Order: sequence, then C-alpha cells, then structure tokens
Amino acid sequence: MECNGCEFRSELYYDADYQIWVRAEEDGMLAVGMTDISQSIAGKILHVRVRKPGTRRPAGKPVATIESGKWAGPVPNLFDCSIVDGNITVLEDPSLLNRQPYMSWIARVAPEGTVEQALSVLVTGDVAWAGYQARCRRDGIQCKRLPA
Amino acid sequence: MSDSRHYLDNDEKSVVIVMTSGPSQRHRCATPFYIGAIMASMDADVKIFFTMEGVRLCQKGVPEQLTALDGGKTIIEFMRDAKAAGVRFYMCRPAMPGYEIEVDDVIPEVDEMSSGGELADLILSSDKALFF
Repeated sequence: MECNGCEFRSELYYDADYQIWVRAEEDGMLAVGMTDISQSIAGKILHVRVRKPGTRRPAGKPVATIESGKWAGPVPNLFDCSIVDGNITVLEDPSLLNRQPYMSWIARVAPEGTVEQALSVLVTGDVAWAGYQARCRRDGIQCKRLPA
Repeated sequence: MSDSRHYLDNDEKSVVIVMTSGPSQRHRCATPFYIGAIMASMDADVKIFFTMEGVRLCQKGVPEQLTALDGGKTIIEFMRDAKAAGVRFYMCRPAMPGYEIEVDDVIPEVDEMSSGGELADLILSSDKALFF
C-alpha cells in the first residue's frame, strides 16, 4: 500500500502524525523506526543518535535524534519506556532509513506497562491507513526514497 | 567508531539562543534553528530570543521568502522544524519600532513578546547562551 509513493504497512502501529512506526517483538520489546513519510521529509539522513540503553523515557521524551543536511529533530516517543538498545547497523549507516525505512528499526524499547498499554496510544490498520493518506495529501508529501 | 558517538547521555540543560542576524546576513539564519532543534531533541529546554535585526525573521513575509543558500529550504521551514522539536520563540519588543514591525505583522510561531530585561533574565538563568 502506498500514497504519493510513500509505503504504508498496515501491521505496524503509528503515532498520529505518522512520524514513527512501532512493532511488537516476540520478546516483549517494541521496535521503533521512522516512516516513509518522515524519511522523505528529512532527506538523506546523516546522523542518528539513540538515548543510552537503560535510560527511562517517559511519554514525550524522544528516543533518538535524527539529522540530515536540511532537517534535525527527534524520534518522538508516546509511551513510558526504557531504551534497550540501538540498531548498530542503522547507527553506522543512517541512510538505511532512506532506503529501507520499515526494515531498519532505530531503537528497541521496553514498555514500563504492558505492550498492549503502550500500543493503545498508537493507531494501526485501516484507521492508520486513512490517516497516513490524509497526512500525505494534506502536506503534499512525495516519497523520496533512496534506491535500495 | 566508538559506540559513545551513537548514544546520548547528556543531562537536561537550559539553553538560550540570541538571534541577532537577519536578512542582511541570510547565511547565518538557518543553523541556529537547526542546532536548536537538535538540542531540544536531546531534552534541552531551548529558547530562541530574536533581537536587533533578528526580529525581522519574525515579520510576516520575511522568513517565508528567505533562504540561507540559493535554492535551499526557507527559513520559516527551519523555524517550524525547531518549533516542532520543542523550541520556544521570544521576540524583543523594544527592537520592533526600529524595524517598523507592528504586533499584527508578527508570525504566529512567536510564543512571547519580551523585554530586554527578560532577555537578561534568560541569559543569567540558562545553562548556556549562544549568540548568532
């Protein structure tokens, strides 16, 4: 599924602005990455820095920072969690986020409550797809993915 | 490359960026917002205080047309990125008459109109003060 060329995956969970995706892992952790929308807005990503593993991140405190040549900002966080680890492959080669945004998680976090509680503040499935398309169209976002 | 380059472990700090540059030095007008966005993303409490020619960046129609480099992103886009990251904007009210800026001319991204004394308070109370 895609809108203006931006890929959407219905099995993932998203924030209301479709900046990040979240995936429940088999070990009870949550993987966090950035969406095709976000990487398109950012442009070629040059640096990613993740909060030190073990750091508590209440809702509203970013998980990581992202820098491209023209954009800098947070990887937002919507639920209370602690950093488990960063994806060293992405940290060493941030352009993976531009090439394979849904294959390239940025950080894994442990929710302070249950996984279900954490995911309850996000959207998924048909609701997310409708919101994703609305964001793409409202802001005129065209996918600018780098070749894999 | 060591892992420490990849991980953030800073304390929460407060930072005030005093923005004195304006359209006559457009090449100085993007980076303060970029670095402000990064610091806000690193849990810093970041305030940008516009004074001197910097107040012109808060005038409707100016940052929308201004770029730091030819063909680059507009300054208002850099300003909005900083706002989205959590940066707050303060505008020096005493500087406005010198640039013939009225309150109605100010872009909505500005959070507060402030006095010179409030800038002094911010500088004295912040952990870091940067001047551009």
